[in-house]
Amino acid sequence: MNQLAMSLAALWHRTPKAVLFGVAVLVQCALLVLMVADRMQILREGREVTLQTQPVDPRDLLRGDYVVLRYDISQLPAGHLAGKSTDARNPVVFVKLAPNADGLYAAVSVHAGPVPVTAPEVQIRGRVSYSCGTNIRTFCDRLTIKYGLESYFVPEGEGGKLEQARNQQKLRIVAAVLPSGRAAIKRLLLDGEKVYEEPLY
Amino acid sequence: MFEKTYRDRLEADLAQWEADGVIAPAAAAAIRHALPPLPAGINIAVVVGIVGGLLIAAAFLAFVAAHWTEIARLARFAILLAGMIVAGALGAWFATTGRNVLADLCASIGAIIFGAGIALVGQMYHLGEDFAGGMLLWSIGAFAAAMLTGSRGALAVGLVAACIWTCMRIYDTPDVLHLPYLVVWLIAAGLAFAWNSRVAAHLVAIAVLPWWIATSFRFEFDGAPPSFVLANGAALLFGAGLAIAAWPSPRAARLGSVLSIYGAFALAAAAALEVTTVDDNFLFRSRIASGQPLWSILCGAAGVILTFVSAAFTRRAGEILAACAIGLVLLAAPVWPVSTAGEPWPAYAALLCAMLCLVVSGVLDEVRPRIIAGWLGIAGVIAGITWAVKGSLLGRSAFLAAAGIVAVAFATALNRLLPRSAR
Repeated sequence: MNQLAMSLAALWHRTPKAVLFGVAVLVQCALLVLMVADRMQILREGREVTLQTQPVDPRDLLRGDYVVLRYDISQLPAGHLAGKSTDARNPVVFVKLAPNADGLYAAVSVHAGPVPVTAPEVQIRGRVSYSCGTNIRTFCDRLTIKYGLESYFVPEGEGGKLEQARNQQKLRIVAAVLPSGRAAIKRLLLDGEKVYEEPLY
Repeated sequence: MFEKTYRDRLEADLAQWEADGVIAPAAAAAIRHALPPLPAGINIAVVVGIVGGLLIAAAFLAFVAAHWTEIARLARFAILLAGMIVAGALGAWFATTGRNVLADLCASIGAIIFGAGIALVGQMYHLGEDFAGGMLLWSIGAFAAAMLTGSRGALAVGLVAACIWTCMRIYDTPDVLHLPYLVVWLIAAGLAFAWNSRVAAHLVAIAVLPWWIATSFRFEFDGAPPSFVLANGAALLFGAGLAIAAWPSPRAARLGSVLSIYGAFALAAAAALEVTTVDDNFLFRSRIASGQPLWSILCGAAGVILTFVSAAFTRRAGEILAACAIGLVLLAAPVWPVSTAGEPWPAYAALLCAMLCLVVSGVLDEVRPRIIAGWLGIAGVIAGITWAVKGSLLGRSAFLAAAGIVAVAFATALNRLLPRSAR
């Protein structure tokens, strides 16, 4: 064991410093590329789900150059989860979605873990951002859930137009949802017309 | 860092001793000759060069920021990668030419650019809001850089990111101990040990504190006073530090001594916190909650045992007193009266004795930081007893007077018992 440690240390000292710095930079670059590749996988393989946005409290409007989004599925009744305890202050939940007559997806039920779904249903993974209170670890009757789809960065000065449309309920988003429930915004629709399409990379 | 100051002082002393005839000129020359050459430091030209480099980097960043939204997304991503590559290439060049401080600086800047890259990629690609997850990723990248390049700065960046990550996870999941952070911390401690670096040891010792503080405060909601949990953490840090330092290895001695110093200061701070905060904890005082969780008590007990083990190896009397100091601080928790009517005189006495033991332990082992920690602890406990006017102020005055008389009597007895050389 000691021999192995010593030979490893010797190898380490023999390795040129430039190589070690190069490997360090490569590791960091690889981690950033992985972030983009992970999102690319959601956009490429996820099933498309159209969601209706909701008006947002004017105090939360236009923070910098991104639009704050809220959906019909952002506030849901807890259903059978109501009153159950949770070990996390902001627990992960899975929401089963199904399309309605307009093709918009709406919530069917909320679950503490993944559930089997059959097409055209999908399950989307979210995190409860508010239940009864910040220090109470119990599911209450109504849950505020975040899905990682709550902000969309736009070119400077274009946020106001989108927020106006959102407050008039003319803005919809198409999200890509993987079977695991992870989701990403794929495109933005204004009055049913595509205004932003996310490229894969 | 202090090598140059030491050399200046030594040179002045040698000149003085030579002039006074204490040492022969040949002896002074031999001492000067025996010293290794001073490591290359940073001269004024290098400092001005660093400032120039920082100004150019700031100008470039401002230029990119002004045109950020106009730049194509892939080009933005390429700029981020280029920033990290340039920092790494400069670091490699400095390391190859033996300018280790600048190489360390470049690795640190590379780790910071990597963190900024995570935030900007999150923004560019509309990634979901998982701030804690982003911090973990930043920490992994910075740790990789620290391991490969030996950069203390990158280690500091990685530890800061890891501390934010663990505090956020502890806040989010209060009922579960966030043990993954301990794995990260042990890796950092392993690096400090392998590098035999005092700076890295200080970073590692500081990095354990946020975890204990965040973990202790989450129990407050259940009624366990955070200061009791903190005291157990301080006990473990102190005891483990002494035990590591007792290991016959200079690397272990360096890391262990730094950990034990932080443990001593943490113990003093926990003692002062207990006096000032426990009586305000309504749930504890009204017997609704237990004082401290079992795992925390076991950590404290492990701290005492490790200190005794260390004392058995080193045969230092000061370490036995350090174990007594830790034990007395831990003893304050079970003897603290839970009834709102009772005054915690035994607990106050235990804490005062503990801090006195800490001072004497430092004196016997000739460890100045431990002495300072003990004095600060005594000051904090006395201030807390005077400040926390829950019952009768007259009663507190009588307690402090009695404690003072006992201490003076103890000092007189010591003065008579110990030979002059041992005092």
